[in-house]
Amino acid sequence: MTGKPPLLEIRNLRKYFEQNSNIVDMLLRREPNQVQAVDDVSLTLEENESIAVIGESGCGKTTLLLTLIGLHDITDGEIVYKGKSISEFDKPDWKRYRRNVQVVFQDPFNSLDPKMTIEETLQEPLKIHGIKNREKRVRDVLEHVELNPPEKYLHKKPRNLSGGEKQRVSIARGLILEPDIILADEPVSMLDVSTQAAVLKKMKELIEDFGVSMIYISHDLSTVSYISDTVNVMYLGRIVETAPTEQILADPKHPYTEELVSAVPIPDPSHDRQRTQMSGAPRDPVNLDEGCRFRDRCPAVIPPDDIEISQEAYREIIEFRELLQRDEVAFERVMNTIDKSYPDDRKMAKAIREDYFTHDLTGENGAVLNEALIAFANEKQDVAVKRLQERFKSICETTPPTVEDENGWCVACHHYDQNVADLQVEQPKTAQSD
Amino acid sequence: MTEPLLEAEDLTVQYETDGGMVTAVSDASFVINEGEFFGLAGESGCGKSTTAKSIIGGLDPNGQISSGTIRYRGKEIQDYTEKQFNEELRWKEIAWIPQSAMNSLDPLQTVSEQAVEIGTVHTEMSETELREQLKEMFSIVGLQESRINDYPHQFSGGMQQRAVIALALFLEPSLIIADEPTTALDVIMQDQIFKHLDEIKEKLNTSLLLITHDISVIFESCETVAIMHASQLAEYGSVDAVYANPRHPYAFMFKEAFPDVREPDRDLEVIEGYPPQLGDEIGFCSFVDRCPWATEECREAAPELEPVDDDDPRHVAGCFRKDEAYEMYQSNRLSSQSGDSTTAITSEDD
Repeated sequence: MTGKPPLLEIRNLRKYFEQNSNIVDMLLRREPNQVQAVDDVSLTLEENESIAVIGESGCGKTTLLLTLIGLHDITDGEIVYKGKSISEFDKPDWKRYRRNVQVVFQDPFNSLDPKMTIEETLQEPLKIHGIKNREKRVRDVLEHVELNPPEKYLHKKPRNLSGGEKQRVSIARGLILEPDIILADEPVSMLDVSTQAAVLKKMKELIEDFGVSMIYISHDLSTVSYISDTVNVMYLGRIVETAPTEQILADPKHPYTEELVSAVPIPDPSHDRQRTQMSGAPRDPVNLDEGCRFRDRCPAVIPPDDIEISQEAYREIIEFRELLQRDEVAFERVMNTIDKSYPDDRKMAKAIREDYFTHDLTGENGAVLNEALIAFANEKQDVAVKRLQERFKSICETTPPTVEDENGWCVACHHYDQNVADLQVEQPKTAQSD
Repeated sequence: MTEPLLEAEDLTVQYETDGGMVTAVSDASFVINEGEFFGLAGESGCGKSTTAKSIIGGLDPNGQISSGTIRYRGKEIQDYTEKQFNEELRWKEIAWIPQSAMNSLDPLQTVSEQAVEIGTVHTEMSETELREQLKEMFSIVGLQESRINDYPHQFSGGMQQRAVIALALFLEPSLIIADEPTTALDVIMQDQIFKHLDEIKEKLNTSLLLITHDISVIFESCETVAIMHASQLAEYGSVDAVYANPRHPYAFMFKEAFPDVREPDRDLEVIEGYPPQLGDEIGFCSFVDRCPWATEECREAAPELEPVDDDDPRHVAGCFRKDEAYEMYQSNRLSSQSGDSTTAITSEDD
């Protein structure tokens, strides 16, 4: 460890929201549902470094950003800026922090004040922070973002600018206070591709010329290599993998990252990419329990050592049990498909099995599943869950430790419990025949 | 050769605005064959959605087809009335997947009720038959058949999208028009949707007109690509030909502007400027102000689509300097690239 603390350090950050509860919930003193938007995230941003946070919509990346600029209270954990935790900030500290940490938002069409000219927009932060020599700074910064000549733009209003120009004004507004850190939330996703490249290039130059650090938030893996040295992949509030950008694109380790990288379309008709094998969408981040967050969709979820079962059949059981635990099995819908005149639990169990399972299970596995389904048909849900848990408990139901190799490659997946380089995930894609 | 499914010839579409006529599509000609996936690409505002809307009579009230013809199975449809469109084409021949599929289902009706409503208007089928038909489509797009009686809110976002696709497929149309069907989605969801569209093509031999700004999706999923710039069709041909041998400056610059995860270090092309405001008459190349190779000639007349000399007989480009420009571009790029020693990752997958 060197003496100097990193520019920004996020330690085990959690941000939970309470879901709205109604008066009945309150009277019954039910615990409100917890939305675990950001769950145990740790990141370090050094000076002159640019890191990316990548994930699907709803994975918590924007919540992370809003928490960083102090718009959300922290549920747990710490954000440390230049060695001082923001929970210990007093008023002057906050002012300094807000000057040094600037945001570029996703939507340039709605994040500029339509009534202000570009000059007023850019002068505003300088006034707030009592900075002199404003006119020159505004001109300089406009030149830097290549809105040349500045005179042409100073008195325009946002509606007179194209999307690319607006986003450059947003970037100029972020830069004008000469911050240490820029937080960029999908800054190019709303732009046409012809301008997208120009804005990306400009941002990259600015990182280098101004010596700013950046956290780049996006769902688009294909642009990230132009901006960031390191990529953090986020899934349902947690970071599952961290690695240098080029390596993560060439050789992703975590099964989720692998799916994410392989789903990016390649602009080349001769390239024969296989379509994703993943189905469904991430679940709601509400009241999540322990364990790997990706396990219900993971193509490489690990079955227990002591039973013999194919990967696909095992995944069906895991998926079904997750539904059962969340009380999302469509019982009535399935019951509508059968003759209801004789409510027979075996018949019901069979109907559910036919609806939710495509793979045959034999021997003990099939018997256990049947027992569970019959318990479920008799409305003994907890018995059903317990029965399935006993037989089919996966190691993925415990939270995987984050392991790191000597190059700083971090993965949180049980396939790599020992060592990142140690094990290769068995490629599930080749196993699928359809 | 069999008769093409859809043929547009010199199609011009204009909108009437307070500031006079505005041309959205100018002299566009293209052909979509049976079972073909046809991608139409371009920047926002280039006229790609207008082109699609004009095919099914869905233009805004101030829009009109000013000249040109659209033929569907040989029959001219550009002057069809609302009634004719409804009786002959919509849903059972040409179906539409809108951009925000999530908002295009009626929240107060189950999916099957909506399907039955569409079916009774457009076909003679009975309700039972229609429900059976919807079930089949649900299974094609990977939804459980028993869920046809669910309300839209009971589906997740991705499932709603699939339900909309199932509805579009429902009366087994020959052509599906999809306007940015996956733009708001994450890559994994996007891939799931295209996986289903691939299957549909295989099973039903449906044609697709895919409108998107994302050329990488077209290169992966379509056989044919047309690139549009500010109302004019710049280039059009098989994806292989256009990829390997682009001729229109906008086409090759547009293509090079797309990032490719296989080559994270490649310089991205930047197309300076923005598309012009277009009035009533367009007697010039609409790319002229942004084109590094433009000459006086390009301002004096609108270029015709002319054949490109390669293996693909359909490959055409609308540029006066189509051969020189690409050569100059190529040599320029090569010389600027030879300097730096970028190690592109060439992933050898599958």
